Amino acid sequence: MSFLAPLFLIGSLALAGPILFHLIRRTTKEQTQFSSLMFLFATPPRLTRRSRIEHWLLLALRCLALGLMALGFARPFLKQPPSGLEANGTRQRIVLLLDSSASMRRDDLWNEARRQAEALAQGAGVADEVAVLTFARSTEVLVSFEDWQRTPVSERAALVKGRLADRQPGWLGTHLGAALIRASDLLAESAGKEAPGIRRVVLFSDLQSGSHLEVLQSYEWPKEMELVVAPLAAKKPGNASVQWLPEAGEADSLATNQVRVRISNTSDAKSEQFQVNWANAEGTGLVTDPAPVAAYVPAGQNRTLRVVVPTNGVDARRILLTGDGQPFDNLVHVVPPEPVRSSVIYWGTDSTSDRRQPASFLRETLPATRRQFVTLIARTPEQPVTPAELEAAVLYVVTGAIPAETAAEIRRRVMGGKLLLVALRNPAMAATASQLVGVESLPVSEAVVRDYAMLGTLDFRHPCFAPFADPRFSDFTRIHFWKYRQVSADALPGARVVAGFDSGDPALLEIPAGRGRILLLTSGWNPEDSQFALSTKFVPFIYSILEMAGGAVTTTGQTLVGDAPELPAGFVGDGTDITLQGPSGAPVSLGRMVTNLPVAEVPGVYSLRAGKITFRYTANLDPLESRTVPLSVDELERWGAPVRHPTSPAAAGEQSRIKTELQSQEAEGRQKLWRWFVVATLAVLLGETVIAGWTARKAGAA
Amino acid sequence: MAAPSAPLKSSAKLIDPGTLMRIRSLELRARAVVQGFWSGIHRSPYHGFSSEFTEYRQYSVGDDPRYLDWRVYGRSDRYFIKKFEDETNLRFQLVVDQSRSMTFGSAGYTKAEYAATLAATLAYFVYQQGDAVGLLTFDAELRDMLPVRHRTGHLRRIFGALERPAAGTGTDFVLPLQQLAGALRRRGMVVVISDFLAPLEPWERHLATLTAVGHEVVLFQVLDPRELSFDFRDAVVFEDLESGQKMYVDPAAVRERYQRALAAHGSALRGVAERLGVAFHALRTDEPLELAVFEYLQKRLHQTRVERRQSPG
Repeated sequence: MSFLAPLFLIGSLALAGPILFHLIRRTTKEQTQFSSLMFLFATPPRLTRRSRIEHWLLLALRCLALGLMALGFARPFLKQPPSGLEANGTRQRIVLLLDSSASMRRDDLWNEARRQAEALAQGAGVADEVAVLTFARSTEVLVSFEDWQRTPVSERAALVKGRLADRQPGWLGTHLGAALIRASDLLAESAGKEAPGIRRVVLFSDLQSGSHLEVLQSYEWPKEMELVVAPLAAKKPGNASVQWLPEAGEADSLATNQVRVRISNTSDAKSEQFQVNWANAEGTGLVTDPAPVAAYVPAGQNRTLRVVVPTNGVDARRILLTGDGQPFDNLVHVVPPEPVRSSVIYWGTDSTSDRRQPASFLRETLPATRRQFVTLIARTPEQPVTPAELEAAVLYVVTGAIPAETAAEIRRRVMGGKLLLVALRNPAMAATASQLVGVESLPVSEAVVRDYAMLGTLDFRHPCFAPFADPRFSDFTRIHFWKYRQVSADALPGARVVAGFDSGDPALLEIPAGRGRILLLTSGWNPEDSQFALSTKFVPFIYSILEMAGGAVTTTGQTLVGDAPELPAGFVGDGTDITLQGPSGAPVSLGRMVTNLPVAEVPGVYSLRAGKITFRYTANLDPLESRTVPLSVDELERWGAPVRHPTSPAAAGEQSRIKTELQSQEAEGRQKLWRWFVVATLAVLLGETVIAGWTARKAGAA
Repeated sequence: MAAPSAPLKSSAKLIDPGTLMRIRSLELRARAVVQGFWSGIHRSPYHGFSSEFTEYRQYSVGDDPRYLDWRVYGRSDRYFIKKFEDETNLRFQLVVDQSRSMTFGSAGYTKAEYAATLAATLAYFVYQQGDAVGLLTFDAELRDMLPVRHRTGHLRRIFGALERPAAGTGTDFVLPLQQLAGALRRRGMVVVISDFLAPLEPWERHLATLTAVGHEVVLFQVLDPRELSFDFRDAVVFEDLESGQKMYVDPAAVRERYQRALAAHGSALRGVAERLGVAFHALRTDEPLELAVFEYLQKRLHQTRVERRQSPG
């Protein structure tokens, strides 16, 4: 028989009570009145031979009652032989889940995690199955259950060790929730095939607070699965981080030539004084010119500062934070904004000074802004254009008939990758147009318009109209076209109607030409032809075309390591190979057409080049990764994870003790032997009462 | 204690003290006892003895001329005073101990009840004889003091005083004896009823004073049988009824010493009585009262006769 609360057995010490009372009964307070004590002598209350225990039966009963009560309180139970599986060690299926996120770069956390995992794999029984997973942003299976089973028993530990050996924590964020789901799914997948046994996920992680647990909210944990957490703590608590805050388009930072950075400090941090500046060539220290910015950031707070973009040739791509003990997130990669300089060549019969003509509207549309300087080079058809100008320009605009040799030159350039916008202002441009689009003769006729024509069909997927795809902006019916020229799309090989009039005639055609493209607008935007230039749609339309041409490409972008940045709108290759140059150096060819950019694996600056267009973006650490304040294990429980508490493998003894205790409790609860002890106690007490009463009566009678 | 005399034993039905004590009224109890032994006595030993002539004495100035024997004067022309045994009836003074030690009792009634019944019986009996009865109750101090009288209702007052509960927290014989020595001008009979469980020395002298004055003193010691046998079984704390003092006593261990001490005390008391010529009777509360009274009366008669015979005449 075992006891659940053996401490209560101390209660059996109370057995001494009745024995003592039986022995020293004569010193009780029982009193007798007597006429006079003058002839009496006090007797010392000593335990004479005669005053020894007189009522053996009563004493025995009282002791028995106390003993039974003590036994009852000690919650006795009969230990049952453990079930077959547990007798020879429960079969365990264990998923070792190692955090390999950037925050594990701190101190020696990763090696510690690896050591503990290897120790656990080493200690696994023959029947046990172990899988090893690492996770950061995504989860990776290093050793699957199948691998484990295939491997001879003696080599299993070596397998785990070998697979873990060349692993290092990456730069990715911690998606712990997803990893736990993956691990538990892996356990659940294998369930059913085998006898259940213990299914356990052992998590080796620093449990930083930015661990993306949200996905756990809707996850239903498989039954009989348990999560054991082996928390790893950095030696130096606290962490400060620096993040780059890219400018919104309208921000004025460019004017002052600064970048904004945010310095965050965790709530458990000890340091509060930091310095921020551009990193030197090695990336280990700060440059001294411009002077570093001092920042005082108390624990748990953050500050936003501006760092002046250097003009003295210092490499302005990395900003470093000093004063923090955990360096993994102290370097941030930035792409300082640079104004885009581009030029547009305009051939037309009109002058830019005539405010009712297309050239004038175009000039008004392209003012010099902080982010871009677009030079409009307006030429009459006769005026020469230098090859350098032709080469530098990103967009050609033709609104009038031009000489054949000029048209041929333009055509050649377009075939080389330029974008050409042709506005058919009159049927007389037919020859020029046909030469530009490369057909024998393009039939162009003046359309008969009653009152006005409207744009009826629009392809909002086309980069020109992509900015208007939102229903709020997609209403083009207010724009009336008084005149337009009829062009048959069939006459243009490969032409695509991007916009059409309500009459069904094409309004805007896109015609591929070699590596370049030609946009053919069948009307003019000047008020004589239409209201287009006066509408609010015109400026975005022109900018879209400019972006298509690569003259207004967003040059900067920021993404998180592990994310694939979105391809900027209008980034269309010019037919040449698109290359991506990562922080490591060598450019990688992505082919001619790119729809998705590859995931950025390491932090740094990436340059995407397509011909002359360059899109630079940075990949930085997930800011959440810098929130290194450890989560409590309870937090996981709050998300419903079946956490088993004494978690460190070192506490295995404790665990087994608790398990035994639980089994004992269960057995005790089932058997409820204490009831019988209480009943026996009551019975004994009843007997004692009866016997004591009888004895007392007898004594009284005597 | 002497064995009861044969004629009484055979002729009278003795009342069991237990039964007697169940009678609530003290007067009825006294009457029952007196009737019980009345049948055993044919003639009152006191009847008329007070008018008996004892001697002549020559008249001297100051004598009461009432007692001049004129016939002797007629014959001899000399004044003689005629002297009698006593001019008045017996003056009977009861002294009853009402201290708390008297409240001990093992037979269903206390020594105090027994003593009161005894006192009431004697008072009733004497009163019936036409003699005057007085009562003095005491404990650590004097309680009731009823003068020696023979009046209607006096007996009832005596009974009333006797029925009062014994509540005294001490026993002091000196006070009542001193009081009586001062109060009893005329010779009489003083009957002291107590358990005498108190030191003897202080009051022995005062008792002597009383006997010296000429009073006839009788001591009745009332003891509970359990006080004599001390047959307690368990060792308990004994509490002194009077002083409240407590003492842990194992009866088995002290019984012999107790009995020896009690016997020594009794014999000391007896010695005092003999020394002073005082009658002493030890009574057990489980003995019928008639026996006690009868025995006393027998002794008393015998003593009186002896005295009479011995008295100078």
